[in-house]
Amino acid sequence: MKSFKKYWSIFRITLINSLAYPGELIGRSLLIIPFMWIFYQLWKITFEAAGTVSINGMTLYSTMWYLMMAETIELSRPALARTISENVKDGSIAYILNKPYSFLLYQFSNSMGETIFRALTNALFGSVVVWWLVGPPPAPLGWLFALITIFGTWVLNYCITCLIGLSAFLVEDVSPYMWIYQKLVFILGGFLIPLSFYPPWLQTIAKALPFAAMVYGPSQLFVTPSLELFVNVLLMQFIWIVILGSTLVFSYNRGVTYLTVNGG
Amino acid sequence: MPSIEVNHLQKTFQTKRKAAGLRGSVRALFKPEYNSIEAVRRLSFQMEAGELLGFIGPNGAGKSTTIKMLTGILHPSGGDAKVLGFVPWKERQKLAYHIGTVFGQRPQLWYHLPAIDTFLLFGKIYEMDDRETKKRIAFLAEAFEMQDLLETPVRKLSLGQRMRCEVAASLLHRPKLLLLDEPSIGLDVVAKQHIRDAIRRMAQEENVGVLLTSHDAGDLEALCRRVIIINHGQIVYEDIVSNLKRKFLTQKMVEVRYAEEVSKDFSINGVEILKIGHYGVKLRFDTTKTPVDAVMSHLSEAGELVDITVSDPPLEDVIAKIYEQARETELSS
Amino acid sequence: MKEIKFLLAVWKANLLSVMEYRVSFITQVLGMMLNDFMYFAIWIIFFDRFKDVRGWGVSDMYITYGVLASAFGLVSLFLGNTFTLSEIINNGRLDYYLSLPRPVLLHTVSSRMVSSGMGDFTYGFVSYALSGQYTWDGFLRFILATFLAAVVFASFLIIVGSLAFWFGIISNLTNLMVNAMITFGIYPTTLFDNYAKLILFTIIPAALMGAVPAEFIMEFTWGSLAKLCAGALIFLFLSIAVFYTGLRRYESGSAIQVEI
Repeated sequence: MKSFKKYWSIFRITLINSLAYPGELIGRSLLIIPFMWIFYQLWKITFEAAGTVSINGMTLYSTMWYLMMAETIELSRPALARTISENVKDGSIAYILNKPYSFLLYQFSNSMGETIFRALTNALFGSVVVWWLVGPPPAPLGWLFALITIFGTWVLNYCITCLIGLSAFLVEDVSPYMWIYQKLVFILGGFLIPLSFYPPWLQTIAKALPFAAMVYGPSQLFVTPSLELFVNVLLMQFIWIVILGSTLVFSYNRGVTYLTVNGG
Repeated sequence: MPSIEVNHLQKTFQTKRKAAGLRGSVRALFKPEYNSIEAVRRLSFQMEAGELLGFIGPNGAGKSTTIKMLTGILHPSGGDAKVLGFVPWKERQKLAYHIGTVFGQRPQLWYHLPAIDTFLLFGKIYEMDDRETKKRIAFLAEAFEMQDLLETPVRKLSLGQRMRCEVAASLLHRPKLLLLDEPSIGLDVVAKQHIRDAIRRMAQEENVGVLLTSHDAGDLEALCRRVIIINHGQIVYEDIVSNLKRKFLTQKMVEVRYAEEVSKDFSINGVEILKIGHYGVKLRFDTTKTPVDAVMSHLSEAGELVDITVSDPPLEDVIAKIYEQARETELSS
Repeated sequence: MKEIKFLLAVWKANLLSVMEYRVSFITQVLGMMLNDFMYFAIWIIFFDRFKDVRGWGVSDMYITYGVLASAFGLVSLFLGNTFTLSEIINNGRLDYYLSLPRPVLLHTVSSRMVSSGMGDFTYGFVSYALSGQYTWDGFLRFILATFLAAVVFASFLIIVGSLAFWFGIISNLTNLMVNAMITFGIYPTTLFDNYAKLILFTIIPAALMGAVPAEFIMEFTWGSLAKLCAGALIFLFLSIAVFYTGLRRYESGSAIQVEI
């Protein structure tokens, strides 16, 4: 347990560090305000045109709070893939191997430190806007379920972005993969449009993949908290964490072996 | 006409003062307090056409600030200056056609391309004729011994090779004045020598004035005829290099080796013994206090001399001494 | 003008620089095309389900998206440093451009090519083709509209980047503004009331990069042409004014970073 203390301190330092530039933190989060507003325009008109109060079980109210949660999740991601790919490219990853901590855990603690306050300010500003537009947030149970599953989201996101970053061992340039990953989250995670509005066949596909568990899961739970969905999401997250996590560890070890055998 | 004329040049920076922590940040946002930093204070000097002038001083002395004002990148707070007849901060673009700059920490060559591509681009930047550019490149390639380097991507060159190409690039458009800011930083001894030789040769052949800032005294010794020592934004000393050494260097260092073992209490009157080895002695003395003649006789009488080396302390020591003197003067005033 | 010769030389150097990494170049271009398609796919899903947004349908979307992508690509290819202007100012790289005898702003912003821009630029044309609304004169209008939208976008980026002269490190702001331009540019203008439309023509001129060019492409009207040209000219003028005002501040040494 003592070894985990150091990761906690890394997390704490990054956390405090992210507060060092409050202007930057707040500035970034301000963008959620116009985004929420524009979503509101879009969905208000769409619901009006459809002529019904609820579509596929979602009302304008729940759609807006869903999107707020989704935006919060999406906008708080740190640029991990680029950092790691740079570490690989310039060989500094080799120096990290000398240190008495695990590279993977270090990066995780680091990125968590960066994420937390960003997510908080995003959620804060987003909530204020959506509250003003459609009314108060959903019941606390929704908050609880969302909070728990968000942690799984962060772990999954970490695994994937870390893997992309490590692919710098194989490819010259990892940015295209980040773009594709982000778009997959957009489409299959139900990020810009709640997943419930998708054609059924697409929903099935999406729900089998990790992206839905990352965005749709917490966001839907936030507005329609149900135990069944909660368990479902947790299960999906767990399965994918196992799969992606082990892929990550495996790839990392392969990379390290390659490095130590072949040099930087 | 002097190529550079500087008169009472002054530059004061205002930097925001910020206390530590969150409260400090908030306070700084609403009620900012400023620190005044006088980077350059009433600086005056002249440089003749084709002269080799060195500007030396420790970090924060105001060298880079002065250079920036002379190239027109920075506006002074007071005073005036003329470079090649232009007022730099008013006629920057016009001046740019006639000066070359090399900043040790700011590369001009495009990193991913072979140096020659940057040269060709510079030709277009300085509005040179294509044929003229190519001829000039060939000439510089020979002068700087860069023929095999030109086609290699710059990122693959060693720092020394890169600096050579950088200096060559700065001379492409036949400037009348070359400004070098820490050109030899990070270079090994051989590379430094190469660069210095190349610069000196070009300066002579093309009558290019060279203003060099550095805190490497070796650059000065090798390249400059005259040197200005600057500290705390002011000129602390100004003279030609040879005078500098003579005036401040009254100390000599001597190293001798004897055929037989040296006694542990080897000593000579008026001489500071630095080190006694098995067969050798290293000593230092002030020529104004102890005549060279006396020391030499004592040394040869002390035993059978096998080897002897007499040297001046390095220019660095001279300069350090000047800084010290200047500081003492400042403290006492 | 002699600046044209100079620009051509800079762009040639940009291209050579980028082509040094062939594989990366290709993955960037193809990756960006795929990226653009996937982003659009969401809208396909939306319009499949909801048919239209107050008269604005998927076909209109293809055109808007197309001109946005192509304009974005054009700026990335020829004025790639508009995205990184604030960083250039903050890390002192501006001094390099200041010490050379060419117009500073032009030299600075044109000295980089972003490879992925080729993917955006190409995809824009594909998107236009997919709209099913194309005609030959429409195609010509597409080219003109793309060019004018690119001018607006580049000018906007220059204005945002120039804020670094006053506020220091703002690289995140540039990213956010780019994000905002794209997002708001895509959304149908039928969504917005007049108040919002005002913002989208001024503070974040996304309308000038998406909806107005699209209108012009779909049908020639003097009104939309005038809006586009006026917008482009005004923003261009503003960007030059803001940059050079900030530059004066930089030259007087009041910028945040000071190296003595």
